[in-house]
Amino acid sequence: MPYVPNTERDREEMLAAIGASSIDELFADVPADLRADERIDIPGPLAELELVRHMRKLAAMNRTGEGVVSFLGGGVYDCVTPAAVGHVTGMPQFFTAYTPYQAEASQGTLQSIYEFQSLVARLTGLPAANASMYDGASAAAEACLMAAGIKRKKKILVSATTNPALRAVTKTYLGSSEIEIVELPTDGGATDLEALREGLPGAAAVVVQHPNFFGLLEPVDEIGRLVGESEALLIASVDPVSLAVLKSPAEYGAEIAVGEGQCLGSPVAFGGPLLGFMATTERHLRRLPGRIIGGADDCDGRRGYVMTLQTREQHIRREKATSNICTNEGLVALGATVYLSLLGKDGLRELAMQLGSKARYAADALAGVPGVSLRFARPFFREFVVELPADASWVKCELSKIGIWPGLKCSCYYDGMDNCLLVTVSERHTRDDIDSLASGLEAILSTGGQS
Amino acid sequence: MVRHFARLAEKNHHVDRAIYPLGSCTMKYNPRVNEDVAALEGLAGVHPEVEGEYAQGAIAMMYHLGRFLAEISGMDAVSLQPPAGASGELVGMLMVRAYHADRGDQRKTVIVPDSAHGTNPASVALAGYCTMEVASGPDGRIDVDELRREVDGDTAAVMITNPNTLGVFETRIQEIIDVVHEAGALAYLDGANLNASLGIARSGDAGFDIMHFNLHKTFSAPHGGGGPGSGPVGVKAHLTKYLPYPLASRDEAKAEGYEYFMDYDRPKSIGKVHAVYGNFLVMAKAYAYILTLGPEGLRRVAENAVLNANYLQALLEPHYELPYKGYCQHEFVLSATRQKEEHGVRALDIAKRLLDYGVHAPTIYFPLIVKEALMIEPTETESRESLDRFAEAMIAIARESEETPELVTGAPTSTPVGRMDEACAARELDVCSWDGDREE
Repeated sequence: MPYVPNTERDREEMLAAIGASSIDELFADVPADLRADERIDIPGPLAELELVRHMRKLAAMNRTGEGVVSFLGGGVYDCVTPAAVGHVTGMPQFFTAYTPYQAEASQGTLQSIYEFQSLVARLTGLPAANASMYDGASAAAEACLMAAGIKRKKKILVSATTNPALRAVTKTYLGSSEIEIVELPTDGGATDLEALREGLPGAAAVVVQHPNFFGLLEPVDEIGRLVGESEALLIASVDPVSLAVLKSPAEYGAEIAVGEGQCLGSPVAFGGPLLGFMATTERHLRRLPGRIIGGADDCDGRRGYVMTLQTREQHIRREKATSNICTNEGLVALGATVYLSLLGKDGLRELAMQLGSKARYAADALAGVPGVSLRFARPFFREFVVELPADASWVKCELSKIGIWPGLKCSCYYDGMDNCLLVTVSERHTRDDIDSLASGLEAILSTGGQS
Repeated sequence: MVRHFARLAEKNHHVDRAIYPLGSCTMKYNPRVNEDVAALEGLAGVHPEVEGEYAQGAIAMMYHLGRFLAEISGMDAVSLQPPAGASGELVGMLMVRAYHADRGDQRKTVIVPDSAHGTNPASVALAGYCTMEVASGPDGRIDVDELRREVDGDTAAVMITNPNTLGVFETRIQEIIDVVHEAGALAYLDGANLNASLGIARSGDAGFDIMHFNLHKTFSAPHGGGGPGSGPVGVKAHLTKYLPYPLASRDEAKAEGYEYFMDYDRPKSIGKVHAVYGNFLVMAKAYAYILTLGPEGLRRVAENAVLNANYLQALLEPHYELPYKGYCQHEFVLSATRQKEEHGVRALDIAKRLLDYGVHAPTIYFPLIVKEALMIEPTETESRESLDRFAEAMIAIARESEETPELVTGAPTSTPVGRMDEACAARELDVCSWDGDREE
């Protein structure tokens, strides 16, 4: 029997030691009328070979970015990951360990998370980061709850240029509270500053994403100034790679930074696991949800690490905890730590520059196709929106026939953008890949098609 | 760089090395074939925004995993979206809210036994409800009379862990659920301890309306030192409409290659709790595990988990106080009160000393209703030899507590660091000041 090492003889001897006549007797507390007398109706057992064949068959029913040129993004990015990342996260010492409840036997996990927190702090410019959240969306939702608690106010402004998933999850998390979410409209693809100004009185927080869902840089200096003049707190959702070349959230006055860390060395994986991160100021440190690892000394003065400020957490504080989160995304955070360490400051900067310049090159190439234009005039990072002279669904379908996935249909998330595509570049893309998108698009549009 | 992390790795206890008997954590072996299949490019490399026709294998896997979990639990529909158990609890509580709201019923409280996991009351609070605790009776089970007194028209739901965190099965579960239902409330099962019931009893048959699963516990996906997990939620038919959107679905009328789809058209849904579809690769591991075991194998998991726990309990009962007697399910709770009162050795000291014996400690000081609690869950993947070794260590420590208590209170001495000063860590906070220097 797979994964049960006891032999029949072991079982008999163990039963004798227990003083029970059968295994069934051990289940005597389960009422007879609840006992599942019928076999549960699921397939299996499969031998390992059969399982692998079955899983390969399932995998073969999917199409990955291999063999096509994919410009899909919108929050989940197909990054190039150094092989060492997977080999470190594949070490059983890391992946077969539990949450580090016994610090003395978990220094590896604890130190790696401490390093992760330090990296998040350095990227965001905010000195207090936690051990991770489920994803960028729930990190933003928890940041809203945190801000409402700090400010004791019941209104949160969320820019419509944030990722739609972030807004959806935030709505779910806040849905049963008395907190009102006010969505700020867009202006030229960025947060409408006039609406922001009007909404600020009485608001606990403002959530903006920078770069935003359209890949555009938000006017964060202006936003930071406006929010700073109000009583509200600024929550910035950021792309960690962009922080190598853009201002840190702390520099424009954000008091909480959150974001999605999947792009730091994790596969796209049909959208999960992802990696939420969260950082704040020292002042709000005790309001953070979830695990926090801290440095500490042992009884002999040796440096080590422990889970700290646990009195904020559910296993101690129960219904008064800052959050219900327990298990987070530990191993993904380890992967991100390895990834960032391998790239280093210069490597991350080079990657960010490359994403910036490839996006610029792709945008210019596409804007050079007759009838195609950039939807927004603002500067962008990693991704951008093009407006086509035809329905985006049709274009997408036609391009996929020649092995190109040109991007996301914006109409899935925004009204009035039926002809718009969100095009995302990756460090994987060569100049040829980008040129083939432009030439493919030109060819398809020239056939006439729909208008 | 690899050397740095390899050195860190050496400082971790992990289940591949030796028993990791944390109660209610179900630290079982993580089958390597599951890791391999989840890493297949055709799964790990699928972008969530591909058109459905290019993700038929991925959606089919999710759909069928949902069906398997429904069949295993006796529920009617399952959402795989919650990325952890606590997230599943939140989804469950939000569905409770939606259910009552639809009936124009404003209920305010959720009843949770005093033996519950801390996530339960925290999730209740996050969903905007007040927690009311119900005390356990002298046998460690929910006091049904007490429950009857507490449940009223304000009760939205009762959250129950079964077997509970003391490792005992709630023998009067149907009566409990009847009390809950008669008051118009819903019955929620925290599935953290599902390992004991696989193929033995189905929570849906007992009348539970909602439950969550922990794929990283019961279904062998690794815990990863703190995630990623996966906390699917199952419901009875009358609550299906409230499940998070999108839901992996199947339309058999459609042509092959198009029949599986993510259903967004769910107007009564409580919304999304994950940015995409949940922790897909964790689901892949659980799916592979279930197929490998099949129905008989799952039942053998429960049988051997319970056998292993009872065997350890029998070996340790002469040496430690066992507050709740009788056969246990997948776990049991000892108390170190004898060691504490007579020798000044606390549960914490025993836990630390176990580390010196090369095994991991049980969960300590939980459940809260047992003083000096040591909550032990060996799981079915431990061999008898491994259980014997753990028992020998525990018995040796009981003896040390009498003869040389300073050895126990001074533990651990063989770990990379000695006992950590957690109070000092909280006073003099240092959470992010690593300077990037990795010189050893």
